[in-house]
Amino acid sequence: MLSNGVVAPPVPGQPLSGPSLLAFFKADCPACHLALRYLDSLSRSLGSGDHVVAVSQDEIAPTDKLMRSLGADLPLRFDRDLAASAGFGLEAVPTLFLLDRSGRVLASSQGFDKADLNRLGGDLAKLLDVPDPELARTGDGNPDFQPGCVSRHLEPESDAAAAEIPDLYSRRAGRASRIDLPTEADAEEWCYESGYADPLPVVPPTVERVERMLAESGLNPDEVVAHVPPNFGAASAEKIAANAVMAGCRPEYMRVLVPAVRALCDERLDIHGVQGTTHFAAPLAIVNGPVRLELGFACGSNVFSNAARANSTIGRALQLILRNLGGAAPGRIDMSTMGNPGRFSFVIGENEEVSPWGPLAEDFGIDAGRNAVTFFCAEPPRPVSEHKAREPKVLLRAICPVLANLWSHRVCKRSEAVLVIGPEHAATLDRGGFTKRDVVEFLFENTGVPVSEYDGDGGEGTHEAGFYDECVIRGVRCYRKFRRPESIRVMVAGGPAGKFSAVLGSWATGPRGSQMVSYQFD
Amino acid sequence: MSLTVVNPLDERPLPEGSAPPRLASVGGARIALLDISKGGGEVFLDRVDALLRERYGVSEVLRFRKPTFAKPAPEAVLTDIREAQPHAVIEALAD
Repeated sequence: MLSNGVVAPPVPGQPLSGPSLLAFFKADCPACHLALRYLDSLSRSLGSGDHVVAVSQDEIAPTDKLMRSLGADLPLRFDRDLAASAGFGLEAVPTLFLLDRSGRVLASSQGFDKADLNRLGGDLAKLLDVPDPELARTGDGNPDFQPGCVSRHLEPESDAAAAEIPDLYSRRAGRASRIDLPTEADAEEWCYESGYADPLPVVPPTVERVERMLAESGLNPDEVVAHVPPNFGAASAEKIAANAVMAGCRPEYMRVLVPAVRALCDERLDIHGVQGTTHFAAPLAIVNGPVRLELGFACGSNVFSNAARANSTIGRALQLILRNLGGAAPGRIDMSTMGNPGRFSFVIGENEEVSPWGPLAEDFGIDAGRNAVTFFCAEPPRPVSEHKAREPKVLLRAICPVLANLWSHRVCKRSEAVLVIGPEHAATLDRGGFTKRDVVEFLFENTGVPVSEYDGDGGEGTHEAGFYDECVIRGVRCYRKFRRPESIRVMVAGGPAGKFSAVLGSWATGPRGSQMVSYQFD
Repeated sequence: MSLTVVNPLDERPLPEGSAPPRLASVGGARIALLDISKGGGEVFLDRVDALLRERYGVSEVLRFRKPTFAKPAPEAVLTDIREAQPHAVIEALAD
């Protein structure tokens, strides 16, 4: 890009008259659209004289269409052969150049940046000896900054060139770049503006912090743990460490985070689909084994909320990794209709100390007493309250209708569920002699949707009723909700007081959707 | 004092796929429709199929289907489409 003080090459069309603000843009660039709106109002406020000139990298028709849609009436030039774009050394659009009367560059700015717009607009007003127009205010509904798009002349020439196929099997990645922050920068704000963060503040991933995190992992910085869908960015140990620092993790959490990233990217879990779904699903991590107590995971009261640093920050690190390396940020790939609070963080520990049964990871062949992280792509928890039941069956009958409503009431044989049984409920079941297997079988046998609900109204789940399994529950003809008993997984978590449990429904399941995965680690 | 941070993002330049050149006309063309297998997709595509033939003179509509909307199209489906050599493919998205 042209440096300040250099005399600019000619612009297309007539030479510029007097001091000018030149803005290169292309019609399909969202950051250009934002910039043009403000430039248009600047141009109007300056009155006569073409002092704000927009240079289109596109033909007249798409440019006019854009101007009409923006309601903009800027003096336009067309860089048809893109010679000016190359001559000005553009990398991206929008790029703005403030030129003095002799065509010398006084200042420039790339991308959409309100501070830059105000500065350049103010400087232009000074040169023209008119009042400062105060162009772009923070908080006016538009972002303060948006990166631009690649300049048209640098776009790969292609007739539908196929996108490069990512190398999914590389075990080594390039090292992460180091970035020196501007001396005056507020590091947290800088991270946020650089697109590193979810909407909460992050801990700046300084070299020292990342190195402490890495040292604890025992991995080489460039060692690839997984490739994160859907963009398949390489989750090298160094990148995982940088995101862990930002999320607020302690270095010793790498012990859990590294196997968790590996499990999260296991093809069976299909995080690829979950990242892009309109559904509520978010990956829930369930931790088993001694590591829960060693690192202080919440397994008791407030297990799903903000009770422990290990749960909250490891869950957040996983989400930042999905976003920063997988590319699924809200509004880009992640288009969930309602979202899920678990997209900030979704990690629970099993309360093995009060559970009458073996840990959840045992269902997946991992011995009790071993550390494991299990993933289930889950809806937010649905509550069950049952404070009167003294018998297992009475209690479980309060859970059946919640299970029966998963996904959509009349859809059967598709959903899976994780049932998180509160300690008081677990004690009731244990006192009644129910094993975990008994619980699952009772729930499977007694959860159904009455056949009378399928009255030909064409609602969701009614078209597939011919494939459902009929049964009789308490004298009522029903379709069985679940495909098999193993569609329901049972674990124990939560605080000592309160007869509550939680039901979590799945996303699409089985080999054509998401399957639970469980990884053991030391 | 200036801080140095480790870049936490995927630093590869993302390959930008570009749209293929538009057909000047679909009259007489062979068009492939990829059903991503979301519920109701076939109802919509049956109508598109009929309109392409009746209103736009498409000579042949080829139908393909992904086994699940939840995952990318398997290579076998893509190979089938390539081998059929349509002039254009419409991938019907959901929601």
